[in-house]
Parts: sequence; C-alpha cells; structure tokens
Amino acid sequence: MEIVENLDRWRADFEKGWLALYESTGEKDWSIYNRPRNREWPGGPGVDLSQSRLLLISTAGSYLKTTQEPFDDVTAYGDYSIRTYPCSTSFDDLDYSHGHYDYAAVQADPEVLVPLDHLRALTTEGRIGELTENLVSLNGYMPEVDRLVAETVPLVLETARKERAHAALLVPA
Amino acid sequence: MGLLARALEMNGIAATLTSWRDGVTRLMKPPRATFTQLARGASLGAPGDKAQQRRVLEATLALLAKDAPVEPVTLDES
Repeated sequence: MEIVENLDRWRADFEKGWLALYESTGEKDWSIYNRPRNREWPGGPGVDLSQSRLLLISTAGSYLKTTQEPFDDVTAYGDYSIRTYPCSTSFDDLDYSHGHYDYAAVQADPEVLVPLDHLRALTTEGRIGELTENLVSLNGYMPEVDRLVAETVPLVLETARKERAHAALLVPA
Repeated sequence: MGLLARALEMNGIAATLTSWRDGVTRLMKPPRATFTQLARGASLGAPGDKAQQRRVLEATLALLAKDAPVEPVTLDES
C-alpha cells in the first residue's frame, strides 16, 4: 500500500504538464494538473471515539499570529511545512495564511475550519475521549504531491505519535 | 487531505475527513470521508450555523467507529 500509487510516474507527468507550462509562461492551468489517483483503499480498524485521543488537522492555514511565521501564501510551488498549537488556543490569537480561499467565513466564525469549540463540547459530553494537546495546521496548497509525501507526511506522523493520537479528523479548507 | 488521511491510516491512526470536493478527494481513496456541497473555506458549514457545523462534524466523526475502508458518505449539506 502506498500513499500515492505510481508516484514516480505522477512526478514525470507533472513535470511535463502543469510544471512545464507554469515555468515557461507563469500560467497555472489546473485543467492540465494531474490529480493523484489511487486504485486501492487503505484498511484499518475503527475506534471507540469515546475512549480515544483525537488529533485535529486543518488546512485553514491558521497560525499563532504573535509567535509563529505565517505560511507562504504566495508561492506557486506550495508550502509543505506544518504549524502546531494548543487546542486551548483562543481564536483571537489566530490568523490565516493560505492564499487559495476566501478568509471571510473563517474570520467570521473560525469553527467552519477549526472546530475547537465543537470538539471541546463533544469531549465534555463524553463523545470524544480527549483531544490531543496540540492540533496540526497546514496551508493545504501543495501541488507537488511527492513533496507532500516526502516532507509533510513525516512531520504530521511525528506529531501524531508525539501527541499519542488514536484517531485524526482532517478538515480541508 | 485524502493523501494525509491515507498516510495516517497506514500508520495505525484511524482517519476521517470531510470535503466539499467529492471528485478530487474520492480519486485519492481516503479511508473514511463525508462529502458535502458546502462552500470552499467553510467545510463544516456556514458561518454562525452551529447546528449545521455540528451535523457535518458528527457524521464525519461517526465513521471512525467503522473499520476502513468505508464507502464515502454524501451528506445533504449545502
């Protein structure tokens, strides 16, 4: 089982298609972007969430505005780094750097992408065992999927292990 | 996110996601997913609509109880 099947072929097609056009013209033509396709579904056991530690992963591009660097929301090549911050963080301490969605909704109500109040309520109700101490934040604009696999996946897995997560909820922007 | 979900599941961490991009996300074969017709930038529901956000969240989390792979669930949320 692979995260991306035929990754070398994906890279070759990406270089010949989307990347070649971008580097020669500056145009980002998503109609020729080769979306990763897999044939196999990964298997794994379910969990009793009421007895589990849940890790939230959001691609809102959120970060602690006074102590963390924003994501690079300008580059055409994507930002493959992660930020972590406590699940107890106040929304007033967050800002967003993604560059590929309208921030109006998340600025009006951060719960639409970073559902910490909802998850805390579900924990209080006993529906979730507990939340990890920290959540994972990503930019989410990652067109080079081989870099996602080589750079981002190890960072996320390391954080998940450090946080002793049993389960993960992923919320894309 | 579909690829990250695969990576987590393959490493023993049960993963679930929700997405408004059914077509693109489904191609990646995530272990568990709900799909909606919600807007980009508001994946769990409209701003201020706590009931909708909670519905999407609960439906997505509920999939964690099932062994993967789980057939993706389309939610009537827009």
